Amino acid sequence: MKLEGIDLAIIGGGPAGMAAAIRAKESGLERVAIIERGEYLGGLLDQCIHNGFGLFYFKEDLTGPEYGARFEARIKDLGIEVLLESMVIELRPDREMVAVNRKGYFRTQPKAVVLAMGCRERARGSLAIPGTRPAGIFTAGTAQRLVNIEGYIPGKEIVILGSGDIGMIMARRLALEGAKVKAVVEKLPYTGGLIRNQVQCLADFEIPLMLSHTVTYIQGNDRIQAVEVSRVDEKGEPIPGTGKLIKCDTLFLSVGLLPENELSQMAGIELDPLTGGPLMDEYYQTNVPGIFAGGNVVQVHDLVDNVSWQAERAGEYAARFVAQGGLRKRARITLIPGRNIKSIVPQKISPKEDVEIYLRVERPEKNVRVHVPDVARKAFLVVSPSESIKIKLPAEKLKKAALEKEMVIDCLPKKGD
Amino acid sequence: MALLETEILIVGGGVLGCAIARELSRYKVDVTLIEKKPDLGWGITKANAGIVCQGKDTLEFRPEYHRSKLLWNSLPKMEPLCRELGVPFQTIGGVEACKNLEQKGKLDKLIKRTEKLGLGKDEFHWRPELLLLEPDLAPEIIGGVYDPEIAITDPIKLTIALGESARKNGVEVLLDCEVENIQKQGFEFLVRTNQGEIKTRYLVNAAGENIDKIARMVGGDDFVLFPVKGLIGILDKKLAGMVTHLIAVLPEQPGALNIISPTVNGNLLFGIPIQINRRGDYSSTKEMQEVALRNLRGIIPDISDKDVITFFSGFLMMQNFEIGWHECVVRMSSLVPGLLNASVGYPGVSAAPGVAEEVVEILKKEGVKIEPDPEFNPRIEPIPDFSALDDQAREKLIKQDPRHGHIICRCETVSEGEIVEAIKRGATTMDGVKYRTRAGMGRCQGGFCGPRVMQILARELNLPVSEIRKREAGTGLMLYESKELIKGRMAS
Repeated sequence: MKLEGIDLAIIGGGPAGMAAAIRAKESGLERVAIIERGEYLGGLLDQCIHNGFGLFYFKEDLTGPEYGARFEARIKDLGIEVLLESMVIELRPDREMVAVNRKGYFRTQPKAVVLAMGCRERARGSLAIPGTRPAGIFTAGTAQRLVNIEGYIPGKEIVILGSGDIGMIMARRLALEGAKVKAVVEKLPYTGGLIRNQVQCLADFEIPLMLSHTVTYIQGNDRIQAVEVSRVDEKGEPIPGTGKLIKCDTLFLSVGLLPENELSQMAGIELDPLTGGPLMDEYYQTNVPGIFAGGNVVQVHDLVDNVSWQAERAGEYAARFVAQGGLRKRARITLIPGRNIKSIVPQKISPKEDVEIYLRVERPEKNVRVHVPDVARKAFLVVSPSESIKIKLPAEKLKKAALEKEMVIDCLPKKGD
Repeated sequence: MALLETEILIVGGGVLGCAIARELSRYKVDVTLIEKKPDLGWGITKANAGIVCQGKDTLEFRPEYHRSKLLWNSLPKMEPLCRELGVPFQTIGGVEACKNLEQKGKLDKLIKRTEKLGLGKDEFHWRPELLLLEPDLAPEIIGGVYDPEIAITDPIKLTIALGESARKNGVEVLLDCEVENIQKQGFEFLVRTNQGEIKTRYLVNAAGENIDKIARMVGGDDFVLFPVKGLIGILDKKLAGMVTHLIAVLPEQPGALNIISPTVNGNLLFGIPIQINRRGDYSSTKEMQEVALRNLRGIIPDISDKDVITFFSGFLMMQNFEIGWHECVVRMSSLVPGLLNASVGYPGVSAAPGVAEEVVEILKKEGVKIEPDPEFNPRIEPIPDFSALDDQAREKLIKQDPRHGHIICRCETVSEGEIVEAIKRGATTMDGVKYRTRAGMGRCQGGFCGPRVMQILARELNLPVSEIRKREAGTGLMLYESKELIKGRMAS
């Protein structure tokens, strides 16, 4: 493995890693290497055989593999080095890292690093559902790989807990495979995924969506046989006596995604408890100089297009970091989530150039405007925690407003305008 | 299977059965062990907390009890045994804590008894001293006894290693072999199993949860044991350094435990509320989970429900559930000559080496010729643990077998090489691989490595993926192939 002397190491070869690598190479870096643990580039894109990718980035409706293939072709053209089935198992604050694959065990210290490890699914354990521990319980993404890449169908009577996007997409996928999807059960009074998926994956296939319900018991000693589904109150607590048994041979969990930051923590990178990802500055740099991050490792995105855009920024600044031997410290504004704002990325910005920020709201609301004091305001008919909001903050307006070191962003009802 | 003849047949491949098999393999006797599940240690043993208790932590261990003797004989043997077999063993020390002066009185009695029995000289420490050991203790804890000898091990790894060592030294081990009925024919037993008949002179019944069922088949059940279910919770590794010793608080419920302890895998475990239960019902109820969590916060308040990565339950066989009084059964049946019943209840793993020696002694008295086998080899090589090695050792391992450089389980850093080795040594299921290598045990619970382990199992065992199971028969994972469910529909 030829990892010595590389300029930029990118950990993860999914959509974020690929976009960061391309932009860094285009910005003039000599040696850019992607280290990917899987068997191919693209990360989860190859198992996402449905369409809806690239509507914004390419202005075309592509499938996951098609979207990934465009980046992969560019990576080949540019001569970016790619190491597959290679795992980074150690990362230090001085960027020294250990990668391992069948050819050996390697220590190297690249001039810069982009974290692009993406996210993982929340597992059953964190839900502590009472009952037995039978076979037949899968997270939706793992099931997606087994169905779409490996060609197996886990069962024919499916219940899905959680209405995340992958769960809804897998509901449709299994319905198309001839399985009976008996219910998608969601604890909240609204779905956890995109509205377009609620329509195209559930409503169009007449799959029942049970809002304000959760699985309260799992039955079956060997293979799962049934789940008990109960209604929940406003606090999300199951209401005793409302339990209904639904027979099934398979349970999918689509109960949330978590940025994968074990390596980041090893390197001493500070995380934002609101996003689960590293605290980012305007360069998409972490608190550890020379370590950048982009995509789902920073915050869970709902559209891959945003993953690519965000990671490109990380790649661009990483290239600049290598070329200039560091990045200039600039005046900074810390962005603080205010009314009905759950998280903001990046958390720190500079008034020197235009910035795009990503916001998530805490709860659904109608007729609101997102208000960045003296800089921007954007009106929405409806906002929802499952759809992130992107707002452009122009530099010239930021400069005027930058007297404040902290800037509180609110999502306000329109009336008080 | 044609009729198999053996001198000693052990029924049950849990920690007791395997320890007995391995002890007997030191001698020139003909021993067979049968286990109804596809792997060793999947019954009672699986839900053992892995704590090598010192037998001085509760007044229940009265010197006149058989099980106290077995345990105390066993303890000095645990560490050397684990070393021989390459099984993790860590001495962590433990605190038995109290919340009021009445409880302190009980601990004072324990300290006196410990000294009187020659088990060591323990001391009571007030809260400020305990906080130096465990800074996050609940404010209600006023003090406790510190025992530096408390240790932890991995019960399933120990059981698998005991079985492997026994097999290497000549014991025949048959898995997926379930007893259907037993007949006494003269001096011999004819044991009918799903794999055929086995004729044996001595029958060692170490069937754990089913010990009474097996004994009853031949009319040898001269004991009463109740199945008692206990619940254990596991906490995320990110809390690893938070608690570094076993901490026990006197439980309100007799027979229950109220503990938090590190595990050899770097997690924390807690529990163990108990309830009398229908056998085979391994479910965990909301009520038991809540009791476990409430007790946990009574020891370490600053732990959230969200830090629990899993709950699991298992059974113990106890003599008297209501008052928590319990004595073990390790003796020849008074009703059927040639039948030896063996069940310890709590603490099964810690007492296993002692029970195994006792069983050999009993069989000797019964007339079995016990002659040392000069070829006995106590050691087995553990499966290489990539995550625990240093740079040089890792490089060497990858050179020897490049599959060690292919990491399959990210959370626990388990390589393809380790998984292949586990399969070579007898893992045939996802859980079999998990218990041997930890693949899938981490925070993502097999989300990333699951499909890959499935493929490796299929490849190494030369089976289609649809036949790869989580555990025993009926726990298949991928029930159909793509397009299988719509075949008929497409034709019409």
